Amino acid sequence: MNSATNQPASGAPREGAKDPTVPIWLIVVLFLLVFWGGVYFDEHSGWFEPQVYSPYVSAEQLKTFQVAGGPDIMDQGRQIYERTCITCHGPAAAGQPGTFPPLAGSDWVNEKEPGRMIRLVLQGFSGPGLKVNGQPFNTSSAMVPWNSLSDDDLAAVITYVRGNKDWKNTAPAVTPEQVHAIRAKIAAAHPLSFTPAELEAINPAE
Amino acid sequence: MNATSPTSSASDSISTAEIDASCRVPLFTLFVSGAVWLVLGSIFGLLASLKFHSPSFLSDCAWLTYGRVHAVATNAFLYGFALQAGLGVALWIIARTSQTRVAQPWMIAIGGKLWNLGLTIGLIGILMGDSTGFEYLEIPRYGFVFLFLGYVLMTFFSLLTLHNRKERALGVSQWFLLAALFWFPWVYFTADYLLLSRAPIHGVTQVVVAWWYSANLNLVWFGLVGLAIVFFFIQELMKRPLYSRHLALFTFWTIVLFASWSGVPHSAPVPAWIPALSTVGTVLTVVTALSVIVNIRATCAGGCSQTENPPPGKFIAFGTMAFVVAWIANALSGIPEVASVTNLTWFTVAQWQLNVFGFFAMALFGAIYYIVPRVTGMEWPRANFVKSHFWCAAIGIVVIAISLAIGGIVQGFDWHDLKMTNVEVAKSQLNFLRISTLGELLILIGNLLLLGNLIGLSVRYYKTHFVPVYREVTAELKPAEVKP
Amino acid sequence: MRYGPYVFLAAFFALAVSWFGFVLTPQVQLGRPVQETNTVMKADLYPQERPGEARQGLEIYRANGCAYCHSQQVQQKGTLVNVVLTDAGKKTMDVAKVLNDEHLGSFSGPGVAAGLPKTLLQNATMDQAVALQSLLKNAGAKTDLHLVPIGSDIERGWGKRRTVAQDFAADATVMPGSLRVGPDLANVGERLPDMNWQLMHLYAPRSVVKDSPMPSYAFLFERRKIGSQPLADALALPKEFAPAEGYEIVPKPEAKALVAYLQSLRSDTPLYEAPLTPPPAPKTNAPAK
Repeated sequence: MNSATNQPASGAPREGAKDPTVPIWLIVVLFLLVFWGGVYFDEHSGWFEPQVYSPYVSAEQLKTFQVAGGPDIMDQGRQIYERTCITCHGPAAAGQPGTFPPLAGSDWVNEKEPGRMIRLVLQGFSGPGLKVNGQPFNTSSAMVPWNSLSDDDLAAVITYVRGNKDWKNTAPAVTPEQVHAIRAKIAAAHPLSFTPAELEAINPAE
Repeated sequence: MNATSPTSSASDSISTAEIDASCRVPLFTLFVSGAVWLVLGSIFGLLASLKFHSPSFLSDCAWLTYGRVHAVATNAFLYGFALQAGLGVALWIIARTSQTRVAQPWMIAIGGKLWNLGLTIGLIGILMGDSTGFEYLEIPRYGFVFLFLGYVLMTFFSLLTLHNRKERALGVSQWFLLAALFWFPWVYFTADYLLLSRAPIHGVTQVVVAWWYSANLNLVWFGLVGLAIVFFFIQELMKRPLYSRHLALFTFWTIVLFASWSGVPHSAPVPAWIPALSTVGTVLTVVTALSVIVNIRATCAGGCSQTENPPPGKFIAFGTMAFVVAWIANALSGIPEVASVTNLTWFTVAQWQLNVFGFFAMALFGAIYYIVPRVTGMEWPRANFVKSHFWCAAIGIVVIAISLAIGGIVQGFDWHDLKMTNVEVAKSQLNFLRISTLGELLILIGNLLLLGNLIGLSVRYYKTHFVPVYREVTAELKPAEVKP
Repeated sequence: MRYGPYVFLAAFFALAVSWFGFVLTPQVQLGRPVQETNTVMKADLYPQERPGEARQGLEIYRANGCAYCHSQQVQQKGTLVNVVLTDAGKKTMDVAKVLNDEHLGSFSGPGVAAGLPKTLLQNATMDQAVALQSLLKNAGAKTDLHLVPIGSDIERGWGKRRTVAQDFAADATVMPGSLRVGPDLANVGERLPDMNWQLMHLYAPRSVVKDSPMPSYAFLFERRKIGSQPLADALALPKEFAPAEGYEIVPKPEAKALVAYLQSLRSDTPLYEAPLTPPPAPKTNAPAK
């Protein structure tokens, strides 16, 4: 290893030897590539947005592609119904005679203004004296309050039930804003479940 | 080899022969085990390759299904040979450039044994079905533990040897090796901790870490250690210094900064910024290849003939050329337009093979063929095996790289061609795979030649050094020699 | 770089930068188990946890290295848009004029309202589609935009949209694959749901796909003597692959688990990051497919 020239093979500089620097063209290539890299990153990376995947290039562009208009509200409502309401009210919304009132063709559901129905679903109800389509419906069961669902979910399921043609319901849809407004109104005013008498007294347009 | 050092230097100077002799024990373990794993890996690799032509070949046994055999082949090669023998060569280079004896050679040998233990149980685990599912990181946790311990032992004493160096200023090969020795345990431990522990990370981040680990092992670690070997031997064999330290420093920084960002493919199911960063890193590694070309060409200017030992020089030269081709191919395949064709095809396999075998393994072969005679003081039993190994390995890897690269490009275009069914695409690959199997066979033959030579030399060494001593010690004593 | 500590610091710095970029930041962004990206079907939890047998199947997939030949990453080159007229409104003459001006066909007033919903413009860019939409809105018509993801993977039928991180959020080990010797499997549960086909394909791939290079996974099956009756599970293999007379091939639990996993592989739910126009919901009470 230490041959005649007495140079260590490690490449340590010799005394007085000049150490050539990196050739200029290589530095130029490096800078050109770094520039390219910067441009590429700017155009294709979405700037660290975790939701931007190629072929989309930015969060703004991705937003313009959200054209589904939100979920199909009937489908969303159906999903919530099948997870939540179906246990008591049944798959055909026929309820159970003597225990759970039907929703199909019910006057409670088909009111043009949804105020009563929204309150009912939000706060639940209990107590005797329920009438459905004019006929008394005697039940000792109570309806559980569903204020744990979000405004969007409640609006979806209420719209679904109100507009379900198979169940002969033809009432107009409900928006999350309406649910939100009523939620705010009753939060202070009426913390407990409604009784049927109270519900009858409510003006559904409010 | 003339092993005299200038006698005019300080009285505590150590001769090269002593330095080499101190390496004997660890290098014996690391090189011989490495060669055994190399052959084993090649056999499994050949087996895996054969399964493409004859899918029902050995398919009835769960242990020999393609997925497990392939994992064993790559891991035996990477961890058994490339890392192990690489550490051996690194140790020798450190000892030589530090001009000091190896610190605690027996501890390094024990580290090597632990490494082998970890690898053995890890590979058996893979065959039993415990593969982790991450490429190049298939060895399950129980194997990792021993591998890591073995690595720590080997590296600690290598670093201690470096610490004992005479000249405090570091040379080029020393920087590269020092960085590499720290690099591997960090990335390996991180990958193991995040992926294989009791509470691994969730979801697609697992694969990002696995890709990061793979790039750091295949590009950064092999790049650093391989170039350390190339730079050392170019100077050693040609008896002239490296053209430019600045350029070597430039190479070092471009490897550690850019290649460590490589690895995430363009199509990955991750947010766009991750493949974008990886693409930029990959394309920038072309600068590394260019800087190496400039440095080596300028060092070799005025003729490349070596004054001693042609065969190691041939291996090192081939390795350098393969480095340049493999890294330029890698950088090109980072460009998005090219990646849309070559991604998820055999092209990436070809590039990997060229990098780890064509570059790193060939550089290791050259180093081993140079080091072992000096460390043991004996010549190779069969010099013609060394030459044949070179030709088998060189032709083998060129055949594999070219056939799989072309096959990969054809495959990429075929997958984009909607008129081709899945089976038609697979069929169009078949001839390329057949050719690459021939390449694998050649490489296996070459590896067997290396193993044969190493074992022959070890036997000869044993016979020369131990047997006479043994015989002397166990010979019957003459009555006159018995003390009363 | 003359001294050891400098090299150490340089290596540490470079590795720390790379670790920060590829290990820490992705974990911070994507590491939470469930993310609220399913803003299209809010009521749906996506991805659903795979059923128990499918989770065992994932382990078998991992142990046998299926990811070495099969990827699970659908790629998407771009997204085109169709403009669909849903309501011609009251001023059908104006609507027809807009369509005729835009060279989308020759429409008459009544003709516009016939056969709704109908696609007016196909495979346009988002800008073109939005422009047409606003013109039609001014004319009183209502339109919907339908997204058409494009890419060779999608056209091959391997998926309806690209695979994203959320698709793997419920998997213990994520294996998107690195080589496509065989087709992509991200949506194979939707494409090839038949359990018997999958079992036969695993036992003897060439019995259902001629000349397939896939190795046979016969070790996942058991060859047993037929008892008084063949088992219901036994595979109905064609003659060249069937066992000898009096024997039947029955899948072991591992084979069934692997098939359950393959059947659970679907990733075509529309997500915020991979928007897709969902198929129209059924108008009846019948459960959606």
